Amino acid sequence: MNKKIALPLLAVACILPFMPFTSEYMLHVFTLVMVYMVLAMGLNIVPGFCGLLDLGFVGFYGIGAYTAGLLTINYGLSFWVIVPFAALNGALWGILLGAPTLRLTGDYFAIVTFGFSELVVLFLTNEIWLTRGPLGLPGIDPVSIDLSFISKALNPAWDWYYEFDGELPYFFLALVMVLVIYGVMRRLEDSRLGRAWYAIREDPLAASSCGVNILNYKVIAFAISAGIGAVGGCFFARWTLFLSPDMFKFWESFLVLCMVVLGGLGNINGALIGAAVLVALGEVLRVVLPELGLPVETRFLFYGLIMILIMRFKPSGFLPRIAATGMQNPIIQDLKKRLDRERAAA
Amino acid sequence: MLEQQLVNGLTLGVIYALIAVGYTMVYGVIELINFAHGEIYMLGAFFCATFITALGLPLWLAIPLAMLCCSLLGIMIDVVAYRPLRNAHRLAALITAIGMSIFLQNLAMVIWGSRPRAFPQDAVPAVLAEQAFSFGEVTITWLHLFIFGITFSMMIGLYLIIAKTRIGTAMRALAQNRTCCQLQGINVNRVISFTFALGSAMGAMAGILVAMFYNTLYPTMGYVAGVKAFAAAVLGGIGSVPGAMFGGIVLGIAEALGAGYVSSLYRDGVAYAVMIAVIIFRPSGILGKALVDKA
Repeated sequence: MNKKIALPLLAVACILPFMPFTSEYMLHVFTLVMVYMVLAMGLNIVPGFCGLLDLGFVGFYGIGAYTAGLLTINYGLSFWVIVPFAALNGALWGILLGAPTLRLTGDYFAIVTFGFSELVVLFLTNEIWLTRGPLGLPGIDPVSIDLSFISKALNPAWDWYYEFDGELPYFFLALVMVLVIYGVMRRLEDSRLGRAWYAIREDPLAASSCGVNILNYKVIAFAISAGIGAVGGCFFARWTLFLSPDMFKFWESFLVLCMVVLGGLGNINGALIGAAVLVALGEVLRVVLPELGLPVETRFLFYGLIMILIMRFKPSGFLPRIAATGMQNPIIQDLKKRLDRERAAA
Repeated sequence: MLEQQLVNGLTLGVIYALIAVGYTMVYGVIELINFAHGEIYMLGAFFCATFITALGLPLWLAIPLAMLCCSLLGIMIDVVAYRPLRNAHRLAALITAIGMSIFLQNLAMVIWGSRPRAFPQDAVPAVLAEQAFSFGEVTITWLHLFIFGITFSMMIGLYLIIAKTRIGTAMRALAQNRTCCQLQGINVNRVISFTFALGSAMGAMAGILVAMFYNTLYPTMGYVAGVKAFAAAVLGGIGSVPGAMFGGIVLGIAEALGAGYVSSLYRDGVAYAVMIAVIIFRPSGILGKALVDKA
């Protein structure tokens, strides 16, 4: 996204919560959109950059969320300490699952990840001593910013302690999270790592004969993706303050995958748009269906139908990735333009 | 009671095999994981129960009618959802398949409600519930034998269709190479439709048998059964029909043993764990040929 679009968008996002028409509910939906933006950007790495289908992303999301929830409840750790923990835990599981299975290609890999996410849900449901099982995990503390150790040192009367209350602070926290991860993704995309991923995606054989260690790069991609998923889960846990295994069923994986494919595989902006469109669609259906006299439960019916239709008419998504990074390279684009001009002249 | 568990596991296993065959055949010809197959299985059970209760049909007529409806539905799903995406990105078709699965599941919820219902027992001959044999503590009912009988006769019928008929030969040819089939003048779309019809009919039968076995049916029943059948297909080697049958039976027994010896809470987990282990150590499945990656 170039600066001409990005900066005004950011400004709008910052003003939005203070508009008179913005209700608490809308703020909640905006934050939800941003949580899914994080997840979609995280998932995008595996199918988008590396061309591997990952159906088990929700497993890492769940691992992150439960890591955050359990660390908060049992040890009272602060959100800021937990985020790296959750990310590392997610990445660790990503490596554990990815290292033996990333040799597999295509659908086999998809099936393994799917089985993994189902096992995570079973674990969360059945290991009641740890997770309280189907009862869920209530009583997670909200995020707080505790700078009292600085303020008390400066002046014993000062107490810089702020506990998040209501939707507004979470909105801005989510915004920061999206920006940071967006920045990381942009850097990754143009790095050596990103180029190796694209090479693997476009032609694994050619990549490996150029000396790219395919398995290593895939495991790195999977670990980063899992880590970002876990960060999303961590935020989710400290935002909703309640977790249950039902929140991490296969449906969520599907939803995030739809966002990625709908937006355009491998396109970071596409992932953002896909997340916004699908979350909005869910909320719009929730409001529109009762108006039409249909029960709210039918919204998944329309969801499924709309997914089929979008895939039918836009199989490569809203923002199809034009080409691998190489083609976005200014030198190559310049060459292309010159070539086109010559062709037009001839 | 482990022996009894084994008998029940084996019975479920042959039913998984019946569903798995549908997955494997579709994967064989178009290389798509047809996620909507589990929903066909669920709809088979619902169609059958509805024909009995609403139309008052006898069981022997309701079953083939339900299978026919599911066959038509299977063909329709292919024509509406998968055929337009035949040449698109693989992911697009896969997402459509998942979308279709969600659509059908929720459609069933809208039509029949989300609560579990009982299978209409008065239509089922009473003799099926009676004991046929007993060895010590193990009881085998006529229903067990009925399920075995139906499943095996369908498997043999399927084998004959695939091995002996012209369209079966076309199916096998299509699984090898689509372009060559087209060059030979095979109507590829018709063969694919036939594959969907055949697989869907068997899936519907499996749904009816499970509904009779457990005496209950509900709109989300297709999900777990579909996943397990898929695991069975992978276990036996996806794309291989005998593999799917074998995989289903192995999975049923593994589940019974897992539930008996490890933990009944992880009954469903056994299927996933077995699936992951098989894929890691023997990606082409127990009976499968090494698959050339076409992704």
